[in-house]
Amino acid sequence: MRGFDFAAPTTIQGALKAAKGKKYRFIAGGTNFLPDLRHMHDGLPQLVIDLSRVDALRGVSLAKGEVRMGALTTMTDFLENKIILREAPILAAMSAKFAGPIIRNRATVAGNLIDGGPAADSVPPLLALKAVVRLAGPGGKRAVPLDEFFTGYRRTVVKPGEIITEVAFPAPGKGHKWGYYKLARRNAMAITVVGAAAVLKLKGGACREAGISLGSVNPAPIRCYEAEKILEGKAVGLALAQKAAEACRAASAPIDDIRASAEYRKLMCEVLPRRLICQALGIPLDQG
Amino acid sequence: MATATKKKKAAGSAKKAPARTSKRAAAYTPPKKFPISFRVNGSEVRAEAPAHTSLLYLLRDLGFTEVKNGCEAGDCGACTVLLDGVAVNACCVLGVQAEGREITTVKGIGTVENLHPIQKKFIELGAIQCGFCTPGMIVAAYELLEKKPRPSREEIKAGIAGNLCRCTGYVKIIDAIEAAAGEMASSKGRKS
Repeated sequence: MRGFDFAAPTTIQGALKAAKGKKYRFIAGGTNFLPDLRHMHDGLPQLVIDLSRVDALRGVSLAKGEVRMGALTTMTDFLENKIILREAPILAAMSAKFAGPIIRNRATVAGNLIDGGPAADSVPPLLALKAVVRLAGPGGKRAVPLDEFFTGYRRTVVKPGEIITEVAFPAPGKGHKWGYYKLARRNAMAITVVGAAAVLKLKGGACREAGISLGSVNPAPIRCYEAEKILEGKAVGLALAQKAAEACRAASAPIDDIRASAEYRKLMCEVLPRRLICQALGIPLDQG
Repeated sequence: MATATKKKKAAGSAKKAPARTSKRAAAYTPPKKFPISFRVNGSEVRAEAPAHTSLLYLLRDLGFTEVKNGCEAGDCGACTVLLDGVAVNACCVLGVQAEGREITTVKGIGTVENLHPIQKKFIELGAIQCGFCTPGMIVAAYELLEKKPRPSREEIKAGIAGNLCRCTGYVKIIDAIEAAAGEMASSKGRKS
């Protein structure tokens, strides 16, 4: 291996400066980079910049009704942080299915997003929570809604020299309903076949706001806007849940791979959202 | 005349060709090495390694061969060590990232003369067959019991989900961790 240079800045400014004019790669936990490194004979970076010592990228807070998670928030933090457990237990439910405990100790939320994989497990719940990604770069700071963050298979809107500083979402509030399901071939250390997430905010008997999303069935995880529209403003029963689930199925475009066929995935894109919506709202499921 | 000069030049460059190849070979520079100082099981360690060296290779090359190399992709858990008290796959950390950090391997958890209850129970209950997964498994179990001193069998299964064992079928490993938790709880009780 030709090797590469290494820098471990301690500030955001230092990290941005280090990347200037270099063929760089930012890393933090390393759980994507090191396994990839073995196959990276060509695209090797000149410089690896370790962000794990940038304290400004750490920490979870609740401010102005918004849960803000520093880029270095790990999957273990999703399982243990009190603010996350209280405000968005869907993230803890997802994290419990994310790889295994040792990977969760290192894998960061920003790393999971920047990797851009269709099966990135943290993305469907964050989409359903309507998260926003905050970036800092040579051109200043900007914020991108997560549903506009991915531009294709392993492609994101992140520009050269930019880093993710924070992932934030409006706290869905007390009494919100949620559901998450990871369909995979094992209980742990598995790549998701279909991931589905639902976050439902209620008012009176009606669904005030819905966030429904799917992972592993499109070039990048998607929000199912049609399904959300079907539920919003209505008192949801089985028929409406079914209609929303069909809209999810229509929004999916899965492929065949070693884990499952496209046909099976397509079916699950209806079954899982229906199940999640019904379970979240306490609607008895006659079938499925 | 002009053509003659050109020919001369061409002949000259053809002669130089082998020299250029050797020049290219001489231009190879080995990857830059970085000084890394960190602590392993309480001892100060100073090392030097290229930036792409994983913590797994760095530790093994320094003689800490109790850290096992299984998959090098974060899948098997054989290389599990504690990094500042947190269980990590050493194959997924760059050696240079360990600068100033504290590493604990299975030998830092307990020694042959002074076994940790987890190690003792692994031996007593036959939770070790070929032994390759054992160092990582014990470090993972150690972190689990730090977080949850009395885990249920289901919680133990979830706690060692990142550590593969191809021999035991896991039942005896789960038995051993459960027994160790019991012993640690009762010895804590005696102390207080």
